[in-house]
Amino acid sequence: MKLSPDQPLDLLEVLKDLDRYRPRRKGWTWRKKITNHRVGPFVLADTSEDLARSVPLPSAHSFGDIDPQSDVVITTEIASGRFEDDLRRMRMAAWHGADHIMVIRTTGQSHIDGMIEGTPEGVGGTPITRKQIRATRKALDAIEDEVGRPINFHSYVSGVAGPEIAVLFAEEGVNGAHQDPQYNVLYRGINMHRSFVDAAEAKRIMADAGILQLDGAHNANATAKEAWKVTPELLVQHAINTAYSRAVGMPAELIALSTVPPTAPPAPKLCLDLPYAVALRGLFRGYKFRAQQNTRYIEADTMEATVTHVLDTLISRLTSADIQSTITPDEGRNIPWHYNNVAGVNATRQTLLGLDGLMEQVQLKSDGPLREQAREIVERAVLFLEEIRAGGGYYAAVAAGQFVDSGYFPERKADGIVRDPDGGDGADTVIPRAPDYGAPVCSHFGNNVYADADGTPCAAYGGCTLCDASKIQYIDEVDSTDTVVQRLQVTLADRAAGVLRPEVERHGDGIVCVTLFVPATPSIAEAAALEMVRHMGLKDAQVISRRLIHPAEGSLFEIKGMLDVAINIAELPRLPHPQVLADAEIEAWVRPRSITVVAATVGEDEHSVGLHEILDIKHGGIERYGFHCRDLGTSVPVERVLEVAEDSRAQAILISTIVTHAHVHERHMRRLAALARQRGVRERVVLVGGGTQVTDELARRCGLDAGFGRGTTGREVASFLVRALRARSGA
Amino acid sequence: MSCVDRPDDFAARRERVRTLSDSELHAYFWELANQIVARLVAEARTHTTPSIERSVLLRMGFSSIEAKALVAAIVQRQLLGRGAGRLVLELATRKRISVRDAGAALLAGHFWDELG
Repeated sequence: MKLSPDQPLDLLEVLKDLDRYRPRRKGWTWRKKITNHRVGPFVLADTSEDLARSVPLPSAHSFGDIDPQSDVVITTEIASGRFEDDLRRMRMAAWHGADHIMVIRTTGQSHIDGMIEGTPEGVGGTPITRKQIRATRKALDAIEDEVGRPINFHSYVSGVAGPEIAVLFAEEGVNGAHQDPQYNVLYRGINMHRSFVDAAEAKRIMADAGILQLDGAHNANATAKEAWKVTPELLVQHAINTAYSRAVGMPAELIALSTVPPTAPPAPKLCLDLPYAVALRGLFRGYKFRAQQNTRYIEADTMEATVTHVLDTLISRLTSADIQSTITPDEGRNIPWHYNNVAGVNATRQTLLGLDGLMEQVQLKSDGPLREQAREIVERAVLFLEEIRAGGGYYAAVAAGQFVDSGYFPERKADGIVRDPDGGDGADTVIPRAPDYGAPVCSHFGNNVYADADGTPCAAYGGCTLCDASKIQYIDEVDSTDTVVQRLQVTLADRAAGVLRPEVERHGDGIVCVTLFVPATPSIAEAAALEMVRHMGLKDAQVISRRLIHPAEGSLFEIKGMLDVAINIAELPRLPHPQVLADAEIEAWVRPRSITVVAATVGEDEHSVGLHEILDIKHGGIERYGFHCRDLGTSVPVERVLEVAEDSRAQAILISTIVTHAHVHERHMRRLAALARQRGVRERVVLVGGGTQVTDELARRCGLDAGFGRGTTGREVASFLVRALRARSGA
Repeated sequence: MSCVDRPDDFAARRERVRTLSDSELHAYFWELANQIVARLVAEARTHTTPSIERSVLLRMGFSSIEAKALVAAIVQRQLLGRGAGRLVLELATRKRISVRDAGAALLAGHFWDELG
């Protein structure tokens, strides 16, 4: 399957022949690091290989559209509930630099005692099934070919079906997974014996398949009352899962700690979070770090969330991170919208690139409060572990409510999570292995009569699925009323009909977001804002962000609603599409040629602002590319413009005509073209008109070469001039 | 029963660890962690679960639907402690049929009395 950058993902092609699809590789892939990497005019220190295709950061146009890639893997978390929409989101995120795609599972999958098959729709996440994984991996294979970098696919090995999910992931080439039995115990209410026994098998399978494991300690941060006090426990949770993983055979390089800076401003974030980050990296040297961004203190304000996430990423750079996870800035207010996945990835890569080479210039102090506080956190964690041991072990500690207590250990607030070791989902399902217990398969943990046999444990029947993938049993669909093909009917019908609707999450969901400032007290302003949105014709309007600007002067609202309108592409007016050239290309052509442009606001017209925007270097006008501009000022007769142009042997004339009374702007443009012809210079000089009521079509009708209206930039005019002059000179 | 309220008595408690060097403290941290998980690992080594057994049958070439039904039937007959995979493989060997045919036969209700 091959993608074309100008074509949407062909979802039917993705779904074709999935019963025969096999993953092209297994295991995790890191970016290939490059130090002293020359990219455009810069040499960067903390980078990796460039992409074949991408969307650079917006400011890149000032730097030759370079798009350097940081040395850390960048994660985005995706879960619309419909994997067919997730695939399009993955493609968009990959073009912005994401190479770790984490698919959140549908609500309740943790409690399903077995596997889900087919492609049912999810809630709050996507049902993880063999067909969904194959389709996703197949699409990601094509996407990674398109962008030119391997993409890691990730989901969750938790719940009461962990070992089966681990086998599924190993068979289907899933590259990373969360696996932490403590997550089951504390947050899913799953029996703790079941969770740990299952986890040993799941970890063994993951280890053999090269699947990178992420733990679940970050959840303690997300659920803590006062997140900065949970840091000793975070170290304890990381340690329990890490020690357990090592004991069942997982190598250090496949163990990644999921760590999140606990706080957010107005808390003194770096003073609190940096000692913790230092303590963690000191204790867990040799393991990988997946740096998560803070969700605990995320509110509806996406700008605030982004600033917190930038600070999180700064902490990653000041310490270390192998994976920088991103949180969408809208996570505090809704299930993430796809363009906010891109926004989160962009904020993070922008930060990482801005911090490139930082640690060659600065150093964390080796004494003082940073080290003292880091030491204190470790000591508190050690005391925590001592108490677990003294109290009878892990199960007893959970039963006693020692975890997720809001006290700063050894302080206790008696509000921790309490679980009964003999209770919970899956209680009484853990069974002793008989002396002759056997499991004739690879990647099995624990007592097993086949483990000591000669050769592989599965040799007796010709090999297990991990040795012979042809033995994998593929189930296409189970419930014919809830399948991807059914859901795609609307999408495909829209595409066939050439119909477009706005969307934020799922194909053509119609959701739009409106930003309004209303000058009134908050409650009145909010009621008014909703009413205004209803007048816009949006259905199901809902305030998703309210920001007090002043108690009396007004508030800012972001309101989502459904725009129930389908636009037919064939009926769209053809809009002129300014084709701009790269800044460097314009300048490289203009400077050596000493090109003179004569400009003026013509007629009885004193407006000068618009022309300044186009000419002045200060406003980003065409001067910055090396054009020699002679601005004759305002109220200049058209004849005068032509005289100066002839005298200065100008190659182009720009006239601005703002006043439009009695179509005077059209008359000026026609007169300029006519006079140029009379004087015999029309072929030598490019004629351009501009003004608020000028369009390209109008200017050309009046005999000029181009026209530019409101909002035109100097770059657009410069691009046109270069193209026109090139065409004339044949260069 | 949750932990009782307790003030932050870190200053007193830290006395026994504050004299350790950083590397000694780290080593002690890992010693404690390893001790705590040792009991958990021992349980995992000697026990199994329906999910583990289903995962074994998946690896032996059964579908998730077949594995779930087989393990449910094995649990019902209190045979899971011997291992679902072993039961199926031994039946296949004894009957000189494929592993998948052995599983299918069990799902059809045959040969259960020969597994004990």
